[in-house]
Amino acid sequence: MADHAATHAVHDPNIGNTGLDHRKMGMWAFLGSDCMFFGSLIGTYLAYKGKSISGPSPHDVFDIPLTSYSAALLLASSLTMVLALAALQDNRVKVAARWLLATAAMGLHFVLNQVYEFWSFVHHYDLTLSTSLFGSSFFVLTGFHGAHVTGGVLWLLILVGLAWRGQLDRRDYTKVEIAGLYWHFVDIVWIAIFTIIYLIP
Amino acid sequence: MADHGTSAATHGGGGGHTSVKTYINVAIVLAIITAVEVATLYIPGIPNWLLVSSLLIMSAGKFYLVVGFFMHLKYDHQIMRALFVGPLLIAVIIILAVMALFSAFLLLPRPH
Repeated sequence: MADHAATHAVHDPNIGNTGLDHRKMGMWAFLGSDCMFFGSLIGTYLAYKGKSISGPSPHDVFDIPLTSYSAALLLASSLTMVLALAALQDNRVKVAARWLLATAAMGLHFVLNQVYEFWSFVHHYDLTLSTSLFGSSFFVLTGFHGAHVTGGVLWLLILVGLAWRGQLDRRDYTKVEIAGLYWHFVDIVWIAIFTIIYLIP
Repeated sequence: MADHGTSAATHGGGGGHTSVKTYINVAIVLAIITAVEVATLYIPGIPNWLLVSSLLIMSAGKFYLVVGFFMHLKYDHQIMRALFVGPLLIAVIIILAVMALFSAFLLLPRPH
């Protein structure tokens, strides 16, 4: 077992003593810590829910059709992400780049929807970060998620740029897989936020 | 070079186990669950406990499908699974603990 791991360590510096890619292990560890981060924010939102003494209530301001559309966008982008990975595995780099670009485009669309939602809350309902407990906990939670999506979009666009410049191929599968793990994570966080924050009355 | 990529992917702990057809099937199921989730919200007279519990169950199902199939955790090494599932359980405990501390309730009516 140790010999097996050592052999791989010689051939590939990314394979550690466990025989696993340490970049991927690092990403899973990061995602685990991010779970606790978002868990704290969701817990805070729920703890403060219904306890605001000023400002509008959540269901006065939420636009469920718009948010459902955003949820569908992120779910669809998870599909295009795995299709990019499958194409890269077959060494169809151009196809993979197109799927990555589609994923980034849907992510960007999601972020723009969120910007519109925030703008609408501020201008139509006077709901800001400091209006009420609801405003504070809502904007912090969804704002951090939006920041994660924005980071993911930039990461995907860098991968697309590398692919177009011929600097990405099948050997870079793990690099793209790690970006995919991050992207799917922002999707599962939204699955939780969508249900717990938006849908549950 | 290509072999090296396959090797890295395999030893990295997954990736090549799921077919495109499976991905598309999972995406269709996810879309259906999301549509049912939103539709549930508009059922007139649905009891609150039933609405909340069904939404949470559907959400958990979607979470499992994305993590298991799209993130390949279903096929991944148990160390990877432990690295994610352990903190995830802690996150759930954090949410329940904070709610309990602040007397916040999801399924039960709030005391007045």
